[in-house]
Amino acid sequence: MNLAPFWFSLEAATLATLLTVVTGLPVAWLLGRRRFPGHGLLETAVVLPLVLPPTVLGYYMLVLIAQATPLGAWLDRAGITLQFTWQAAVLAAWLGAFGLFVRAAQSGFELVDAGLEDAARTLGRSEWSVFWSVTLPLGSRAVLAGTMVAFCRAIGDLGITLLVAGSLPVQTQSMPLVFGGHGSPLQLDLANQLLLLTLGLVAVLLFFVGRLARVRR
Amino acid sequence: MLSIELYREFSGFTLDAQWDAASGVVALFGPTGAGKSLTLRCLAGLMSPQGGRIVVNGRTLYDSTHGVNHPTRDRRLGVVFQGYALFPHLSVEENIAYGLERLRRKARRARIEEMLERLALGPVRHLRPASLSGGQQQRVALGRALAADPELLLLDEPLAALDSPLRRSLRDDLAATIRGFGKSAILVTHDLAEACQLADQLVVYDQGRVLQAGPKDLVLTRPATPAVASVLGIRNVLEGTVIDSSGDTLRLKWRGQELVAEGAGRAMPLPPGSRVAFCIRPEHITLMRKDRHGPATARQINMLTGVIVDEVDLGAVSSLRFRVNGDGADASRGYDLEIEISKLIYQKLCVHYDRNWTVSVQPGAVQLLPHPDSSPTLNGDLASVAIAARSYRTSLKNLRGYITRSIGVYREL
Repeated sequence: MNLAPFWFSLEAATLATLLTVVTGLPVAWLLGRRRFPGHGLLETAVVLPLVLPPTVLGYYMLVLIAQATPLGAWLDRAGITLQFTWQAAVLAAWLGAFGLFVRAAQSGFELVDAGLEDAARTLGRSEWSVFWSVTLPLGSRAVLAGTMVAFCRAIGDLGITLLVAGSLPVQTQSMPLVFGGHGSPLQLDLANQLLLLTLGLVAVLLFFVGRLARVRR
Repeated sequence: MLSIELYREFSGFTLDAQWDAASGVVALFGPTGAGKSLTLRCLAGLMSPQGGRIVVNGRTLYDSTHGVNHPTRDRRLGVVFQGYALFPHLSVEENIAYGLERLRRKARRARIEEMLERLALGPVRHLRPASLSGGQQQRVALGRALAADPELLLLDEPLAALDSPLRRSLRDDLAATIRGFGKSAILVTHDLAEACQLADQLVVYDQGRVLQAGPKDLVLTRPATPAVASVLGIRNVLEGTVIDSSGDTLRLKWRGQELVAEGAGRAMPLPPGSRVAFCIRPEHITLMRKDRHGPATARQINMLTGVIVDEVDLGAVSSLRFRVNGDGADASRGYDLEIEISKLIYQKLCVHYDRNWTVSVQPGAVQLLPHPDSSPTLNGDLASVAIAARSYRTSLKNLRGYITRSIGVYREL
């Protein structure tokens, strides 16, 4: 059995999830903990991609990084080609997962008692330290939940990956693509096997993460 | 030790407070919403005033004229929050260790052990706050705040969330801990009993302003104004006319009767005929026994005759509403004085059957309350200076100059 699409999906999704968490945490903290002009605007901008179906999002992303656009031209000049690469697949998955993660983590941070953060400040801690020792641990359930959702979305992101990364066997052929059969002859048997494998793996993962979240309390 | 000037406008509320205090425990007392907790938040740096100055032990933490505003983490003030704000995800030990991050490992270990020992928290050191009793939680909060050896301890309504019996026992614990560590502290409370037990100095707040600041006994026995008396819950605040004053004794006319006040006359040179507010504590009024007329009649001062028109059962004591037979209108709705006597005396004197009484007030129990517009008094509370100064103030700078001058004048006197 050709497991390459399976591993590729897993790797890309993990990487995309990591990227989502790293970029999403500061945004979620900002939205959940600070009041500033443009707060509502940023909130809307973060959620807006969720409205679009993955296919449309992938299409727009493809348009955005095409050589004809300023961004695409700039990337081209810098010697970076994103279309139809695995990096683009990760980026696409990130775009789809970002809003989901931020929303979950933000509501988690909002629920953290601001008085506890004040207490931490009076005990000599910097804002950075307050975040890592109080805000994040107390919001960890929501952050974990957000991470799970982000991972699921990333691994299942058929449409975006399809459009942006294309379907080059081994290189960028991810699970959903095999299943969708786009770009290559329909391989239903393989697709079914890989799908079951993925589902099983994700189920095990979610189970353990869920338990972890409960133990932390 | 502590000098505070704060100014901040909110929608519908202005915090405008100045007071000084020596080392010891200072209680900020006043009704809910008077600005006490806001003052504490400004002190801790959790909120910025729009103007003013905060000096703690010679260290300026905030000064609007010089652009000084130290962040909370550098202020070195230990705060015990309302509801304690213990970190729910950390154990007792980790909560206490939280403020000791800057210490070396060994020193930190030693300090944690010391705090656990002194606060008797050793047996629960590995537990989370949620599984502690109220008393243990309070001790953890105190331990966490005291561990880093702060300059000053700030306590924001530490006992407000508790029910009455527990509150009393925790009040004792709190007093013992504060005394044991020998820290100066600022306590925010709206419970006078709490303020009296824990503090040496009182700062009386109302509607964002400081009405009076000074040693506890002075504020309690000599409230500067009727407003202070009312915030302190002192009843029987009355108004009379001065007949004359000589030395320590002041004679005044109230409801057609003559009253003598002792011990306060010198504080205020009051010309005959001027209006003066005074108060008589309900527990300082005694019913004259009708079967014993001997010694009491020998000194016929501050005797008032009247009728008990109503009464309220307060458990161990009865509060009697007493209307004086005299000229003029009642001081309150239908009665003049509130008198508190113990249940035992109530039963012995058969007050229930007999409503006509003569009462007597010790001359020392008639306490004069200068009006807010009168000049600063010799008892030297800065609040009345500040109140007088407010009308002159065009800026905080002017005010500071004025207070300094006023203190100078007071010293000369």
